[in-house]
Amino acid sequence: MNYFKKHMFDKFSLSRDDFGKAPEEITEEAADINEDELFEFAEFDEKKSEIIAAPRYSYWKSVWKTFISSKFTVFVAIFVILIVLFSFIYPKFSDYDPMNAKHINDASHKYLRPSLEHIFGTDNIGEEVFDVVWAGARNSLIISLSATAIDMIIGIIVGAIWGFSKKMDKWMIEIYNVIANVPFLLLAMILSYVLGAGFGPLILTMTVTEWIFVAYFIRTQVMIIRDREYNLASKCLGTSSGVMIVKNILPYMISIIMTYISRQVPMLISYEVFLSYMGLGLGTQYASLGRTISSYKSYMMGYPHLFWIPVAVLAIISISLYIVGQKLADAADPRTHR
Amino acid sequence: MSMNNEREVILSVKHVDVTFGDNKKKPFKAVKDANFDIYRGETFALVGESGSGKTTLGRAIIRINSCSAGEIIFDGERISGKISRQQDRSVIRNIQMIFQDPAASLNERATIEYCVSEGLYNFHLYKNEQDRIAKVDKALEDVGLLPEHKSRYPHEFSGGQRQRVGIARAMIMEPKFIIADEPISALDVSIRAQVLNLMNKLKKEKNLTYLFIAHDLSVVRFIADRIAVIHLGRIVEIAESEVLFKYPVHPYTVSLLSAVPMPDPIIEKQREPIVYTKEEDDPNAAPREMREIRPGHFVYANDEDMKIYLDRLEKMEAFHGE
Repeated sequence: MNYFKKHMFDKFSLSRDDFGKAPEEITEEAADINEDELFEFAEFDEKKSEIIAAPRYSYWKSVWKTFISSKFTVFVAIFVILIVLFSFIYPKFSDYDPMNAKHINDASHKYLRPSLEHIFGTDNIGEEVFDVVWAGARNSLIISLSATAIDMIIGIIVGAIWGFSKKMDKWMIEIYNVIANVPFLLLAMILSYVLGAGFGPLILTMTVTEWIFVAYFIRTQVMIIRDREYNLASKCLGTSSGVMIVKNILPYMISIIMTYISRQVPMLISYEVFLSYMGLGLGTQYASLGRTISSYKSYMMGYPHLFWIPVAVLAIISISLYIVGQKLADAADPRTHR
Repeated sequence: MSMNNEREVILSVKHVDVTFGDNKKKPFKAVKDANFDIYRGETFALVGESGSGKTTLGRAIIRINSCSAGEIIFDGERISGKISRQQDRSVIRNIQMIFQDPAASLNERATIEYCVSEGLYNFHLYKNEQDRIAKVDKALEDVGLLPEHKSRYPHEFSGGQRQRVGIARAMIMEPKFIIADEPISALDVSIRAQVLNLMNKLKKEKNLTYLFIAHDLSVVRFIADRIAVIHLGRIVEIAESEVLFKYPVHPYTVSLLSAVPMPDPIIEKQREPIVYTKEEDDPNAAPREMREIRPGHFVYANDEDMKIYLDRLEKMEAFHGE
């Protein structure tokens, strides 16, 4: 309170003794101050009113800032990077080979529970479950990531043109109706019988029809923003459709494309697992999470770690990839910036 | 001012219909038999309520909407219907548009530099990068923006600034004719005058012709040389701006003018809006057409209407002492 009083008096150049005096007694000091010293003419500059004071905006910088602003997101992102790196690097150093069962005659090496020596334990033929799971995870990731990349590239290109061209829409929608009604499992079975089991045929199975779903999704999104006024303005300036797709349409869709990818990658991982589980996926010469789960399922009761560990690894990879994808998509949406 | 006939016609809209919908039997006609000339160097305003087809007509001129009948002549060449690619590009260069909503008509993901340069890129209207940047700087300066704004994004600007970016983007093409589709109706009242003054300044400097589409009559009175009143896709009256405000003849125009609020509480209290009931509903009425009631003053009427309108006009003229 005293502090406030002191400063208040200072401000009006009054002293504590002035308190309670008549106004004419106080103004002596105040009258010394020349009015001209207190005020000066402000000049009006039109240019100055146009200046934008806010710091410069950069789209990708803002995406990055928003993305790293949440500790949880950063944690999951680092976790995903480590898991992916680990699943790509570790199988190179482990001596696991699905075609060579080294310990099959060593009964003391089978069905071991997880321990420090055998992190995930060992399985029915004496293999380290840790090695088996990571080799399988690597193959699942390779397949789902490359299939997603192919789906998205074809889907985005076709979908953007499809959404933009009213002529193309008429016959593309018919093609979509036909392809979308082909049962996926039937197609997978036929392709696996005709082409055999392996990386190529499996990626083909996941892309041969899947791209059109991506394209359809993109088409719908393009149609929503196609007729907005800024596209009309571009048309009035003579911008060609190709340039409009690249400059006006796709930049608006980064966020929804990210969302799609973040759903597509885990979905294709589970496709791989599902097809391998059904015996339509990778051949026995390749490690595969799906086939691993399939072959361990009979030990669910006796040796639960054999079944649950691969399932848990699958779930963790899928969920963390999904979370990171969603967070990236959120960050890519400019409405979340600042 | 009645020397219109001697002035050079830059754009001529002849019996233009714009139709929407696939329904062949009963198509929806958004614009019916539009017929007017715009002279070089004037500001021609198209006024009407929402949904009257004024924007549709503007867009038909810039070839976004196609005409289902009639033709549009620009600088002596037909620009409606099927034309060559070369002609199409010349239309784009010569006719530019200023859009209603500056927030929606700029690409939010592109810098101002790209927004303004877009037309230059499309027609390669620059010698080298330096020349392009110089042109963009000049265009921004013309509309009162700063060169440093080039690297900014549209959402960083105020509404008036954005609209000026839209104007700069149109002006950089060095057009002869500009269609301004309600350029100020989305703006704050405090900056409307700024944008209108800018448009007038640019018109003088660059010898432009405007088609000014609006629903705000007070604005139109300020900026337009001639006004066409459009109602339900039909142009009902065309006259010079002051003539239209002084001697409105068509009942729709009268009703429209009676709806303008007055900045005077006493007059405003006494003001009685005149309600317009559509005459076209009368199936027995003789067919109407655009007729010249006074030189340069056209009204949509038949013989019967003409008598009433002439009578009304004479009364008004007597009232104003002419």
